[in-house]
Amino acid sequence: MALTKSQEETARTGTPSPATSRGLQWLWQHLSHLRHPHCYECGPIHQSTLDVLLLRGAKLYLSDLVTPAQQSNSVFWSRQGKTPIFLIDDFLVQFPPIPPESLSAICCWGLLDLLPREALPRLVEGFHACLQPGGVLFSILREPHITTGAETRWWFESLTVLGSSDTTQKPFPYPALTNREMERLFPGGNVKTFLTRSGRREVLGVK
Amino acid sequence: MAEPPSIVPVEAPPAPPEVETSMSEPTPKLTNPAPKSTNSSVAGSPQTLLGRTVVVQGQLSAGEDLLIEGQFEGTINLDEYCLTVGTEGHVKAETRARQVVILGSVTGNVAAREKIEIRRTGHVVGDLVAATVAIEEGAYFKGSIDIARDDATEAARDVAAPSTSRTND
Repeated sequence: MALTKSQEETARTGTPSPATSRGLQWLWQHLSHLRHPHCYECGPIHQSTLDVLLLRGAKLYLSDLVTPAQQSNSVFWSRQGKTPIFLIDDFLVQFPPIPPESLSAICCWGLLDLLPREALPRLVEGFHACLQPGGVLFSILREPHITTGAETRWWFESLTVLGSSDTTQKPFPYPALTNREMERLFPGGNVKTFLTRSGRREVLGVK
Repeated sequence: MAEPPSIVPVEAPPAPPEVETSMSEPTPKLTNPAPKSTNSSVAGSPQTLLGRTVVVQGQLSAGEDLLIEGQFEGTINLDEYCLTVGTEGHVKAETRARQVVILGSVTGNVAAREKIEIRRTGHVVGDLVAATVAIEEGAYFKGSIDIARDDATEAARDVAAPSTSRTND
């Protein structure tokens, strides 16, 4: 396969370009034996993501879970009692039909920062059930000091470079997830974390 | 207007598609107009329009490009031609065509030999297989995308690198 933009940059300058994602580098190395990895992208559709993943030979599952979460879509909330309850079962209906244990990777950038804590175990269990052994749940979590940017969108610029639009100052609705919480959420607890300079963590759960 | 519109049942026993019309609407439009700017058919090539008041169930095949602005349920086979589902179109079908452009609503699997495009107003639930897929920002899509791969090329790659590659299928 031809070198990606960031690989060319690395080859030319000897150092990785600033936007190169170490988490993605690890991911594609981890999946390098798969000619046709099955990937689920659960963010807003971006043509660059389609192009990059399809060129990699991936079979791609798409459904946008992030936008409804960003908009706090009222159809996913019951307000009958004193405390609003997030209807996680209704939210999970948005999953595309994915065979169990079939996915090589799930890209859920930013999603876990947008949902209430009580919804996360079911969501992560759902992701975990779709992953094949060795499959990876790739999430991006904010550090606690990042308080705004809930409408950030993410996409693949190349296999190892993530693009993002962070033009909004919308605050995050819930406290930041810690690494310990992620280890508890992801069945088996096999979680790798890559720190970045942007105040975001790349957190990869490996089944 | 050189040819009559073609909605052809393709399997025996012949079962002509049902055409239901709203009582309040005029006679269903099943015309063969000049290509419109809303679809990507080759200029000058014949194109059939299923107008917005047309409701059809059945199997549909055609030897020309097709624009659906009405409702269709069943199977569509336009192997060598282009299907456009207009902004008013609602399709529930297994679809096969050379090229598919979706501005309306489609539920069902879509296979195109060349390209599938989902425009900003498009709403698609189903699995796509094509050589090229383009989805505009703002479109709704839930399903899977798989690139139609040349088996011969894949086999050649397997021969070239038998120990380093593995499919996920």
